[in-house]
Amino acid sequence: MEMKRAVSVLSSFGLAAALALCPAVVAAQAAASPPLGASLIGKLEGPTIITDVKDYPKTFKEAPTLDAQVKAGKLPPVEKRLPDESQLLVIKPLREIGKYGGNWRRAFTGPADHENANRINSADKILTFDYTGTKIVPSLARDWKVSDDGKTTTIYLRKGAKWSDGKPLTADDFMFWYEDIYLNKNIVPTPFFEFQINGKDGKMRKVDDFTVAFEFPEPYSFFVYQLAGSTGIGAGFATRGAFQNFGGAYAPAHYLKQFLPKYSSEDAVNKKAKDLGFDNWVSLLKNRYSWALNNEVPVMTPWKTVSPINTPTWSMERNPYFWAVDTAGNQLPYIDRITLTLAENTEVANLRAIAGEFDIQERHMGLNKLPVFLENAKKGNYTVRLDPGLNGADVALHMGNSYEGDAEIAKLLRNKDFRHALSLGIDRDQLNEAFWLGVGASGSVAPAPDTIYSPGPEWNKKWAVYDPKQANELLDKLGLSKKDSDGYRLRADGKGRLRLEMITVGGSFVPFTAVGEMIKQQWKKIGVDVDIKEMERNLAFTRDNNNENQIITWANDGSEVLFLFPRHALPVDAAESHMGMAFARWYASGGTSGKKPDDPEMIKAFDLFRASYGMKDEERTKAAKEIWKIIVEQEWSIGTVGQSPAFMGVRIVKNNMGNIPDRQINAQHVRTPHSSWPETFYFK
Amino acid sequence: MVAYIVRRLMLAVLTVWAISVLSFIIIHLPPGDYVTSYIASMSASGSAVSEGEAQALREQLGLDKPITVQYAKWMELVLQGNFGMAMEWGRPVTDVIGDRLTLTIVISVAAIIFTWVVALPIGIYSAVYRYSFLDYLFTFVGFIGLAVPGFLLALIVMYLGFAYFGANVGGLFSPDYAEAPWSLGKTWDLVKHLPVPAIVLGVAGTAQLIRIMRSNLLDELRKPYVMTARARGLTEYRVITRYPVRVALNPFISTIGYLLPYVVSGSIIVSLVLSLPTVGPLLLKALIAQDMFLAGTIVLLLGVLTVIGTFISDLLLMWVDPRIRLGQR
Repeated sequence: MEMKRAVSVLSSFGLAAALALCPAVVAAQAAASPPLGASLIGKLEGPTIITDVKDYPKTFKEAPTLDAQVKAGKLPPVEKRLPDESQLLVIKPLREIGKYGGNWRRAFTGPADHENANRINSADKILTFDYTGTKIVPSLARDWKVSDDGKTTTIYLRKGAKWSDGKPLTADDFMFWYEDIYLNKNIVPTPFFEFQINGKDGKMRKVDDFTVAFEFPEPYSFFVYQLAGSTGIGAGFATRGAFQNFGGAYAPAHYLKQFLPKYSSEDAVNKKAKDLGFDNWVSLLKNRYSWALNNEVPVMTPWKTVSPINTPTWSMERNPYFWAVDTAGNQLPYIDRITLTLAENTEVANLRAIAGEFDIQERHMGLNKLPVFLENAKKGNYTVRLDPGLNGADVALHMGNSYEGDAEIAKLLRNKDFRHALSLGIDRDQLNEAFWLGVGASGSVAPAPDTIYSPGPEWNKKWAVYDPKQANELLDKLGLSKKDSDGYRLRADGKGRLRLEMITVGGSFVPFTAVGEMIKQQWKKIGVDVDIKEMERNLAFTRDNNNENQIITWANDGSEVLFLFPRHALPVDAAESHMGMAFARWYASGGTSGKKPDDPEMIKAFDLFRASYGMKDEERTKAAKEIWKIIVEQEWSIGTVGQSPAFMGVRIVKNNMGNIPDRQINAQHVRTPHSSWPETFYFK
Repeated sequence: MVAYIVRRLMLAVLTVWAISVLSFIIIHLPPGDYVTSYIASMSASGSAVSEGEAQALREQLGLDKPITVQYAKWMELVLQGNFGMAMEWGRPVTDVIGDRLTLTIVISVAAIIFTWVVALPIGIYSAVYRYSFLDYLFTFVGFIGLAVPGFLLALIVMYLGFAYFGANVGGLFSPDYAEAPWSLGKTWDLVKHLPVPAIVLGVAGTAQLIRIMRSNLLDELRKPYVMTARARGLTEYRVITRYPVRVALNPFISTIGYLLPYVVSGSIIVSLVLSLPTVGPLLLKALIAQDMFLAGTIVLLLGVLTVIGTFISDLLLMWVDPRIRLGQR
């Protein structure tokens, strides 16, 4: 426990202690007001994918470093390395054609931080989203087709596209993944949720060398979004490899076969594993499968690892076989190398960014440090840009809807009026000013009004305004009108003061505990007492799993793409659910385990949600809006402040970087910053 | 003598075994396991692990088995000289620790050298010239050194370095050298970065040692044999270094037992603040992630080193102090 205390001491002392030494910074903090934040949020923009073959370039150029290797005879010429002319991925850079070269410096926090560069290196996704995050565009696959009945999704690969070792990528790499990796129970013991519809498995079929079909027994029109989103099947070989869970839907067969028993024998691969210090062949395969850990595995990404993630510097260099070009025919990426230096804690990463040691860094940068970032911008020669998120709440008060403990409190938490009263008792604007420097949006859990599933701006305010009078009336009506001498309401069962418990997780992007403490003060006006308990996140999650949390604060990030990432919107995912794990288990198991919710509205939301995966786009969007209306009306989670840059949206960019969008979409499904195509960033 | 050493060795083995059991139990005490911790950390960074993946991970890591089975599996590996896989790192535990061990030892040894080089002369000076101006000054500075927690000092040093000297923030290498293979330039770069962590790590220990040295030596200086030595005409330098200082050194030697594990772990919090790639932050992360093989191995390593260190300091004491050596017979 000594360790935990040490960490919280660290985070509270952290930069704050350093700041206290500098009076000018304190003054700047006081001056931080909404106009400041708003002026840092620019226009949403990004590069575009050219889809008309007529506009494709005909001649090609390459980086000088590669040119030298070609001349030395170590590499084939660029025309031979790129896919066939009509099969290229052509990207129109945001502002201008860039220059080759440079080393992009960033920070990472250790081997668990693989998403740091996965998200830069996400071009190997089968499909992806455009810079607005709404439209599916080609990526690894050049085209796709969903059958009319929604049961088959076909993808078309790029003829002549090659792995980073020069070997061609074909449908056989997909079939290898499907037959030898995915269907091997030793490697993937449980099927992927997104490769199933209503619990029934999908199949993969090779149509020809460059065409692959995904087939399902029931209509599954949504599957194409799974291929474009940040999912087990669609996030790309590199990303899923780094997660070490064998997703990706394709894999370099020519390289990985040597690690599978099927192609030699179980004894031979086990011996190989033991010789290298691994327990068995599965753990060796896991290691070899990861682009972050293994710099030998062929990849389809713009950069490939040189020095792996489990060393103090995770570095990568350009992939000479990357299959995308700009509109002038220059092979991408522009930037030669990426070097991520290890920061043992995020405070050090922030301080280094302030010192101007990073070229582009949005991950790990704290919104609460914004005044210091601005203060040092000139000295560090960088610009600060804010990228607001699309989700409704950076801090959502997830209610323990399936909480089993104190029966009286469990009864109240399941009462809609009680939840409404708690919500009306929160002064969100005060929270926004204090912790988001005024750049967030106060409101419910509903996503930003301009997202496709938003039920309309009025739902962002529904039950999410400060109205202590109405809150008090609701609570009085619930039979909680008796108060003690301190003005707090008494329990209806006569067991003293009504005391709720709110769990806040320490060391997060948002200061959950401080927000909780302020809400505690605000709830005093409605006579509700709450204990704020800070916990380490593993403990908080374990308590979630045991239905022990009354209220827990967590972000609802990803909820804006309801069907791709529903777990922060509805209790439907048994891997993580803050608003009722028992219900999530019930939903995920199809009713065989967990507990059936007694709230008919939740059942209604579940039914609508389940049916949506088979619906056509238009119908599904309508259903999503309905679901959001139910969620906002029922307040299974209470939103506070969101749509803010607190979550990886504070972007520090050196002034010599080119093709940088003023604002980029900040969301999980587009794998920010991938949607800005970092391949087109360059050093001026 | 031999029987004594053999008995001590057998006790040491038993102690190490007890440490291995205890460390394994302690790592399992917090609720949840590596997989819940992994899901939580992924969620905190805006990514997701699905239920199927979580289940698969548990099966592959053997976390679905009872703790006794997990312990037996680990012990079986340990006896083969294989300490298992570091879950978060996806590499054998020995490799993960090995990578950081050299630098940890370099930093810790630098800190110890700093401590001794500063503390011994000052301690002796303070005792011999008791209540002089410099004695008061050293006492004053020493108490501040004792009272200021290392991590706070680290933060202040780091801030000053950044704000006024434009120094790199934390770490042991400049960005230019971080990735370069070992060369003269890189070694020099390391030497340039070394003083800050060495001093921050060494300050508290220095202050403590000055006090110990001073009071021990004061006790000795009052004794009749010192007066006798002076009366017999020995030079002041010889009087002090030959006898009282040697006796006053005993506490230094008995702390060697704790020095060894310290050399390997570095200081967790200071290393974290200064972002030093040492074993300390590795242990902290392993504990938070509940990576039982990695955390267990580090704790076991520290335990073994404490045991060995104590053993060595016993032997050294016997060698340095004739009273103990003769008493032993």
